[in-house]
Parts: sequence; structure tokens; C-alpha cells
Amino acid sequence: MNDTPTTAGVSEIEGRLAAHPFLKGMQPHAIKVLSQAAVATHFDTDQVIFKAGEPANGFYLIENGRVILESPQGNQASVVVDSVGPGEPLGWSWLFPPYEWQFDARAAEPTSAICFSGIMLRQHRDEDLTLSHELFKRMSDVMVRRLQAARRRLAH
Amino acid sequence: MKTEHRPGDRPELERRVAAHPFLIGMGPREINLLIDCALLTRFEAGQTIFRTGETANRFYLIERGKVALEAESVGESPVLIDTVQAGDLLGWSWLFPPYRWHFDTRAIEPTTAIFFYGTVLREYCERDTVLGYELFKRMSEVMIRRLQAARTALSEALKNAQVAV
Repeated sequence: MNDTPTTAGVSEIEGRLAAHPFLKGMQPHAIKVLSQAAVATHFDTDQVIFKAGEPANGFYLIENGRVILESPQGNQASVVVDSVGPGEPLGWSWLFPPYEWQFDARAAEPTSAICFSGIMLRQHRDEDLTLSHELFKRMSDVMVRRLQAARRRLAH
Repeated sequence: MKTEHRPGDRPELERRVAAHPFLIGMGPREINLLIDCALLTRFEAGQTIFRTGETANRFYLIERGKVALEAESVGESPVLIDTVQAGDLLGWSWLFPPYRWHFDTRAIEPTTAIFFYGTVLREYCERDTVLGYELFKRMSEVMIRRLQAARTALSEALKNAQVAV
């Protein structure tokens, strides 16, 4: 990762998690568990967040700003495939093998986010099924919408 | 839709649900819950499975054959968006509001599939965390692959459009 995480108190992180739209309605216990794998972070405009092919070891919840996803094209200019805005999650590749980013992610404007350690969450995944089910359900919702949006763009 | 389900078919249904690649590794208890919501079904080549805008209350696990996802295109032939093959899951729109199909689907080969009542299954998943977790984990994995494939196809299309300009 190319970011410099800022250390924030646990209670501050818990507050930021509880306020994030993606985690709306999560039980306080789940927020506490998630906060143990979370760190607040910030990206400047044009800062690279991750690159295709690198190990995918976590994901982000965007609080403010915007991130663009690009498909690298060798020597040619990258192609923008999607963008992720405030209130949305960024990054799925940490969930399943081969655990590698498929696209480049770059902040299009100053962006604040919460970064989660995928390794810590994966370890927890099969122990706390209630939390894992909640996370998968919420992620599925976002994935379906993005899949439908990408397919609609493909149709035109 | 031609459903083949008859009361005496339960053992056949059990066998086919448990054998589907998407459900490999599910426990017998979760398989049993799934069977409550399942029917065996079959489509002829060319047969429409669902249409854009119709109520999405179900999904399919394809056992054999191939299904095309197509976008409506006014005055032109439909645009092929994706194909879903044996071993794959067909249909996500039952999961979330507005519960309407976003595309047309049509069998392009003789196709056998297991039909699941999504509406009932959603309630089961809310009551039963193990089932919910196991099902959503598997669905997430398929969605990610399809999303990455769609974005890769999109980047190819955009690159070609740039070259054309």
C-alpha cells in the first residue's frame, strides 16, 4: 500500500465506522470487531491506492472524495472502467483467490477512507458467521449494482 | 417454463441440488433448506427464461446447456452481454430492490437447471446465518468474477472506441 495511515483512537474509528453508510444498521458488536481491523487513511489527488497484479490484502470504505478504477494498457493510456464515491466500498479482490488486484485504483480528488485488513477479516470470517453474512450481503448489493452498470455500459 | 417437479421427485431433486458445483461443500442441513425452495426445470434452445422489467423472484443453477444474457436494443437485434454455462448461477436481481430483471435471458442450447424461489430463500437466509453466509459467500465469488470480466470487456470496448476516434 502506498498510503500513510494516520493513527486514530479506537473510539474515533468506531464512530467513523458506525457513521459510514455501508455499515448502517450493523450491531455495535460487529462495529467493534471491524474497528480492530481498521485504520483511517487519506489520499491526495492522483495518489495511487493499489495497482493491478499487486497482492490484495484489504479493502476501503470511502468517506469523502472519489477514486477511479483503471485498466492498465501497457504503453498506452489507462482506460477508466469505474469510479467509487463517498459511502461506497472499494476493493473485492482480497476476498477470494488469487487475492490480486485486477485494476489500478487512484484518487481523483482528495479522499479520506477507512482501510481494512483483509487478512484479519478473513481469519475472522468462519468464526463469526453473523458478521460475515452481513458483510457479504452488503457487498453483494454493491457488486450487483456495479455489475449491472458495467453491463449496461457494455450494451451501448 | 417447463417444471419437471412431481412429489415423487424429491430424491432426484436432492441428488441434483447436492451435486451442483455451486453448492459443493454445503452441509446437509443447508442443502435441505435449499431443496425446500427448489424445482427442476428445462428450457429448449431459443426459449426465453426471463425478460427485462419482469419481477425477479428467482434464480437458476445451470446444470447443462448455455444461456445468453441480452440487452434490448430498439430496432436492432439484441446485444449479447454475457453467457452463463453449466455449473454457473443465473440471476441476481431477486436479491435487491427493485426486484426487476435488468436483461433478457434465452437458452441457446437445450438447458437443464435447478430453479430456486429467491423470495422464500431470502427469508431463510435472514433466519439461518449459516445458510445465509454460505450462499452469499458463493454468490459474491461469482459476482466478482463476472464484474471483473464485464469491466475488462468494457475497457476493451472503450480502448477500441478511442482508437476509432
